[in-house]
Amino acid sequence: MGKRMAICAVAQIKNDAEYWHLRFQNMLLGCFESIMEQTKVTFDMEKGIRNIITCSDDLFDARTISDNGITDVVGAHFRGEEKMAQESINGLGYAMASILSGHDDVILFMGHCKESQGESRRMISNLAYDPFYSRPLGMDYHNVDALQARAYMEKSKVTDEHLAKIVVRSRQNAKKNPYARENKLVNEQEVLNSPMYADPLRELHIYPVTDWAYGMLLCCEDRVQEFTKKPVWVTGYGSCMDRYFLGDKDLASNFSLNNASKRAYEKAGIKDPKKDIQVFELSDHAAYQLPMWAEGVGIADEGKGGKWIDDGGMDKFNVNLSGGQLNGNPLLLGGAARAMECYYQLSGQAGDRQVKGAKRAVAQAATGGAGQHQAVIVMEA
Amino acid sequence: MTTKQMKGFEDSYVVEGKMALPYTYFAGSVGSKFITTIRDEKKIMGVKCPTCNVVYLPPRQVCDKDFTDIRDNWVDVGTSGMVTNFTVVRYDDKHLPRKAPFVLALIKLDGADTPFMHILEECKLEDVKIGMKVEAVFAKETTNTILDIDHFKPVAERASIHERNAGRKKWVADAEPAIQGKQKGGKPDMSKPVIIAAALTGAATMRNQNPSVPYTPAEFATEAYKCWKAGAAMVHVHAREDNGMPTHDHERIRATYNAIKDKCPELIVNLSSAVGMGKTTEQRISQIIAVKPDMASLNTNTMNFSIVDRKTGKIFIEYVFENTFTMLQEFGKAMEENGVKPEIECYDMGGLDNTLLIAKQGFFSSPMNFNFVWGVAGGQSFRADSFIAMMNALPANANFTTCGVGPEEFPCIMQSCLLGGHMRVGLEDNIKMPNGELAKGSYELVEVAVNIADSLGRAVATTDEAREIMGVRKK
Repeated sequence: MGKRMAICAVAQIKNDAEYWHLRFQNMLLGCFESIMEQTKVTFDMEKGIRNIITCSDDLFDARTISDNGITDVVGAHFRGEEKMAQESINGLGYAMASILSGHDDVILFMGHCKESQGESRRMISNLAYDPFYSRPLGMDYHNVDALQARAYMEKSKVTDEHLAKIVVRSRQNAKKNPYARENKLVNEQEVLNSPMYADPLRELHIYPVTDWAYGMLLCCEDRVQEFTKKPVWVTGYGSCMDRYFLGDKDLASNFSLNNASKRAYEKAGIKDPKKDIQVFELSDHAAYQLPMWAEGVGIADEGKGGKWIDDGGMDKFNVNLSGGQLNGNPLLLGGAARAMECYYQLSGQAGDRQVKGAKRAVAQAATGGAGQHQAVIVMEA
Repeated sequence: MTTKQMKGFEDSYVVEGKMALPYTYFAGSVGSKFITTIRDEKKIMGVKCPTCNVVYLPPRQVCDKDFTDIRDNWVDVGTSGMVTNFTVVRYDDKHLPRKAPFVLALIKLDGADTPFMHILEECKLEDVKIGMKVEAVFAKETTNTILDIDHFKPVAERASIHERNAGRKKWVADAEPAIQGKQKGGKPDMSKPVIIAAALTGAATMRNQNPSVPYTPAEFATEAYKCWKAGAAMVHVHAREDNGMPTHDHERIRATYNAIKDKCPELIVNLSSAVGMGKTTEQRISQIIAVKPDMASLNTNTMNFSIVDRKTGKIFIEYVFENTFTMLQEFGKAMEENGVKPEIECYDMGGLDNTLLIAKQGFFSSPMNFNFVWGVAGGQSFRADSFIAMMNALPANANFTTCGVGPEEFPCIMQSCLLGGHMRVGLEDNIKMPNGELAKGSYELVEVAVNIADSLGRAVATTDEAREIMGVRKK
């Protein structure tokens, strides 16, 4: 087992379809001030924040080195700052490396994205594909996820009806989450009638365009009492990169998530995730990913995702009580949103969706189409 | 610049910008060769890793599994393959190469191990299926990109034999009597359509040899129908009990015959008058008289009919297949009197001569239909010159077909087709495809025969044409 990192405080603004009247700097500012207020942390170069990790995306911000748009707002001038350009969950892994190595004691971790700024998030994800073999074909995360959906649903007997159930539940759960994007409640029939988007995915199967910002204060174990009486611990982190070309891998396989979660569980001393973990937050960019990632983190048997839903697996294992990525978080920030829900649950602040006696939680997130890169963190009260 | 007027934000505006950046991209030697080969030679090349034997498409410099340098290990992966996954893109957007709806598919080309992504067109959206065969359509003008393959399209499925037959003129016999001499010396008369017969079971082929051997009437009907679909005009049947044993039981034989006729009324059904080992003369012929099939086999000489290990020469089962002159005569007469056209089985030249002798009595209706059988342990092996000798010995206007045991099936039917004769295949004679894999059923062997006919430019006979050629009355 490895050492652990404390999450001392978290702050976020509500997820919204379009903060057209807010600059992303302003979105971050509220989060920043809340962290300062909650922890009384300073920017003293000996005792305070010496290093800041941010997470944002160049294309959504319409500028390169997108962190330069916000370094002043998050107090990053005159000190260390690094940007996580991958899924935000990896920012926690990176912060953990800095803190557990003793390089830094205290790290401020901030992220923002206004997905609504871009005319098309599909065009943005199209740019994630190489300009030679893939991009001219129009590949984007939605049509690539659709291919994975077809392969996975066939393998695990997940049906259109199952996906409808997942969407309905996501929106119902989100109603209990004060920070969740406001979405219309839907019934299963409405989901089943939702127009096909990229077969077999329907419009309602895909998370909606969302704007959001967050902040967290992370700290080493020795100094946690300076900032909070009730820390939540990150005890394990693991990630894995799968092959790039879609045809090189079995799209229905959870190879990279199996590996990422195995490494995180080993470090956190988890033997059986079904018994040892009470809360799971999975980054379901599209509805099929909820059972698929559930298989990947070991709470549904491989190839049995459909049956797992029928058997009530989503509620039995407290999966995505926040509403999940499916209800709406910006691309790249879903992992931070998942970790924050775990934080609320483990610190007893989850309100109406609180899982009684939650001791351990898992947050998972993926970067790229069809879950190419996977990362998992284990958190503990 | 637009202004979103909203209370409290009257003094603010929203900038409308655009990111656009022309750029160049060095494609490298591997990528460049891949595209220029598509552009200049209309060939799609992958690279093969000699360590793990995977043929990668798109090509790359190094195998990521074992780090082998594979950049020079080019292989032509062909231009056709199979859809392994697909989606229908139903939204329009500026990055997309086509207007919605269009299909993006993962396509595994025949010579590659990894499928690759491309556009699939020229088919209805609802017809796109995993497993469908597709081929590349190359762009008319090059862009030096992956879109030098413009798209993939479905490979046209070959029309079924029935569709093809419906599209050609029906064969009719010449008003002039056929000139048998034409056939002499191996100069073929290929003007007649070729009759393909499928021998579904025989008496000895069991399910442990090939699981597609039918036993029950329903299984016979299914197998016969598949063979008819594939191009057979006739099936040859030895009825079986549920446990697979050959039977002389009239009811079982009638049930099997009727099941085939119910499923596929036009198919010619030819019953065995040998039935199986150890059957009495009475058991062999009474069932033919009782059921009165379209045709029946008529065996022409007493011979060894043994099971012998073909590698070691060791005899497993010793059996004398009794077909005396009297039997030949009585069976032949019984068939003709009952409207059952005999198929005269010749296991060597002697059997043919026996028949010609008996035929002098004049009870055989014209035309006579002979089957040259090769490779029975006790009969003669297939030899091209023996075949021609037998063909040359046939009476005027006789038809001939042929069958061969085991691997002799394919050369003998090919020679028969080449010489204007007909072809019999099926699990009775042979359980394997030409590549050595088990045939999925007699129908797959019928497909081989159809391919042979196609290669030689011969039409495959419809059941009507087969009746006309062989003189089999419709019942």
